[in-house]
Amino acid sequence: MGAAGGIIAPDRILHDMADLWVTLGKQGEGDAGVLRACSMTLVVAAEESDDAQAIGETLAALMPEHPSRAIVIRFRAEDQRGLAARVFAQCWMPFGHRQQICCEQIEITAADASLPDLAAVVLPLTVPDLPVILWCRSPRLFHLPPFSQLAGIAQKVVLDSAAFGAAASALRQMSDMRGMRGAVAAGSLLADLSWTRLTRWRELIAQIFENRAQLANLPLVSDILISYRAADTPATAYYLAAWLIDGLARVGARPRVQFHSDSGEPSARLSRVELRAHGSADAIASIALAAGPCAEVKTGGLVSKALLPVLTDYDLMREELSIPGRDPAFEHALAAAAKLALS
Amino acid sequence: MSLENPFQDPLRFERRVPECAMVIFGANGDLTKRKLLPALYRLAYERRLDAGFAVLGISRTPMTDDQFREKMLASVKEFLEDSPFDADVWTAFAQGIFYMAGNFDDAALFPALDARLKEIDAARHTGGNVLFYLSAQPSQYIPIAQGVAAANVGKGSGWRRIVIEKPFGHDLASAQKLSAELHSAFEESEVYRIDHYLGKETVQNILALRFGNGIFEPLWNRRYVNHVQITAAESIGVEGRGAYYQEAGALRDMIQNHLSQVMATIAMEPSATFRPDSVRDERSKLLRSIRVMKPDEVLQNTVSGQYGPAHIGGEDVPGFREEPGVKPDAQTDTYAAVTFFVDNWRWAGVPFYLRSGKHLPKRVTEIAIQFNAAPLAIFNGDETTTAPNLLILRIQPEEGISLKFLSKRPGSGMKLRPVSMDFNYGSSFGERSPSAYETLLLDAIIGDATLYTRQDMVEASWTVVDAIQHVWDEAKFDFPNYAAGTWGPKAADDMLARRGHVWRQP
Repeated sequence: MGAAGGIIAPDRILHDMADLWVTLGKQGEGDAGVLRACSMTLVVAAEESDDAQAIGETLAALMPEHPSRAIVIRFRAEDQRGLAARVFAQCWMPFGHRQQICCEQIEITAADASLPDLAAVVLPLTVPDLPVILWCRSPRLFHLPPFSQLAGIAQKVVLDSAAFGAAASALRQMSDMRGMRGAVAAGSLLADLSWTRLTRWRELIAQIFENRAQLANLPLVSDILISYRAADTPATAYYLAAWLIDGLARVGARPRVQFHSDSGEPSARLSRVELRAHGSADAIASIALAAGPCAEVKTGGLVSKALLPVLTDYDLMREELSIPGRDPAFEHALAAAAKLALS
Repeated sequence: MSLENPFQDPLRFERRVPECAMVIFGANGDLTKRKLLPALYRLAYERRLDAGFAVLGISRTPMTDDQFREKMLASVKEFLEDSPFDADVWTAFAQGIFYMAGNFDDAALFPALDARLKEIDAARHTGGNVLFYLSAQPSQYIPIAQGVAAANVGKGSGWRRIVIEKPFGHDLASAQKLSAELHSAFEESEVYRIDHYLGKETVQNILALRFGNGIFEPLWNRRYVNHVQITAAESIGVEGRGAYYQEAGALRDMIQNHLSQVMATIAMEPSATFRPDSVRDERSKLLRSIRVMKPDEVLQNTVSGQYGPAHIGGEDVPGFREEPGVKPDAQTDTYAAVTFFVDNWRWAGVPFYLRSGKHLPKRVTEIAIQFNAAPLAIFNGDETTTAPNLLILRIQPEEGISLKFLSKRPGSGMKLRPVSMDFNYGSSFGERSPSAYETLLLDAIIGDATLYTRQDMVEASWTVVDAIQHVWDEAKFDFPNYAAGTWGPKAADDMLARRGHVWRQP
């Protein structure tokens, strides 16, 4: 619904959205009508070549838990200025088809050259009094100088260092951004989906050491072994190592870290983590990917299985959108991982 | 100095769960099969339990560990409801499931149990922590608790907790006796009286709604609230449990425990902290503030009902007295409605109507808070233009919250119509809500008793209910007084009509 040519006016988009709600209201059955739900503005910056359908499906899946006004900006590498927009709604029927809930979505296509114009368009489109989250799916966009204006609108910028190329360089860039020397505005929060991918691994490790018998072994850890299915060490491996080293330091352990590239289909996924004590044949604890979506957890002679499926964009964003504030564990791990990767 | 786990990240991780073994007395029973094992498996699936978590089932039937595992596997698959089943996760979880046969009255059972727990602890590092779950007949609670105490079962380096299911006695005196005998074996802080209603997400959400938001609490008092209705309706009858049910009745079975606890959660004062004792103190204070009816007030403020036969959906439904095992002249209440008043400054004069019944038109549990109407009707029109605001908290089947208010109809003129703003718990948060048993079992393992009932609460609610039950026991009701499939006896409508109110039809 709604379209424009080379320039777009925020008022026009807002007007189109108001029309959209009127139309949806008329479509509602009887007195049930539609409900509008919103907990944030979610701005998605993507390349035009990015899979539009996949982005749409991810947003649709996120809406029930994180209802938001979604603004999807699709960039094309063109020197000539040009913007276009359309608005539509994502709706679902949670009440046994009694009443539908809808979230609004705005799609903007923009030439790179129009990037300096975008912040002025997006700012009035954000929902008042609610947080603005920017999910940047392309590292190329992030390096375009005017991108900082767009990022400046957001309280939180979500990136994926896995898309930035070599892990060491990616982590350094991320760390610099956090140091407010880069594109992320002062005061904005930063998130890295490479860190988000680690949550289930980290939680399994933490759960192992809730057991007092296992916790007592923690100061004995002398070696950390991290394996992954990739030729080069991915950012997730550095994050995990940095986080483990930090935790172990708090109980007086100073372990060595070994990274190991596993055979198997390259996917940049972690495949195994082991904590070992010097001179002991068995690991104090290990987690290894097993067949299917499971991981095998070994500790204290016990073997258990836990689900550790490949996470989708939806899984990762769902977690990140649940954390609107600071994440001190990530901030600490980012700085330490960057140092580790560059050492 | 003891070590702290340095890997915890409360921002992203779920709550910390200690290692433990859980002993289920009555492991061959329905509750274990339908609720406990599916809930425990689900917790394992969600990676919420320690890797060495162990279950030791006990009942009379001789079985090996493997036979018990097979039986539990079948139950988990059948009763997992809306959750996926993963064979690998089950296989690993089942390694921690054990079984021993025994008679709870046999003193020799308990030293053997202690020895078995020690073996399990050595193999699975359960830290000496033991959660005893009594999924047995109430008459067996005391023999079990005293057997555990006499043999010092599980007494060592870890903690011991005991979970018991209702009924917590059948009146005040028996509840006090049960408590005293339990306390001879366990401290009150080790006794977890489970009320699965309190584990439901919406009941917990009442606390979030009331004490997490600034806009509701100022309205939550006698000045703005006209009355409160709490309904727990079941569409089924006694389903073969007639013999048991005729000794209990709706007042004892539902109002004394579940609905009183829900009422306490709705009406309690804000607690200073969210620590278990702080929340439970407030809930207890509220229960103790419910006015105890004098004998001559009982029949005016309560209604006892019993369903009669009916023809529903092409099917003949027998009346309660025609159910197997029920006496043909049974005076059991399959329906109970009561009007409670809370004698404190916040609620003085506000009626709380509680009703529960079997064979009502639908299965629904909800709380309806009706606010006072606008003081002046300035819009001309029918009675809908002065319809009061209602806040509905739905507990089951669709957990959620609705606010009903008036809105102008589009068009010329000032015509109003009621509209409803709905928040559906399941669909507003894409995540599956944990079942009440998942929540409560995890709380017991963690040692969080917030959602469990304390003895002083049990005694307070029995005090109120006993006053009613004594009068009912003396009366001879003209049963049946409502047909199955209807909303209960007419007397229940009359009870509200005397104060100018009507039951909401959920």
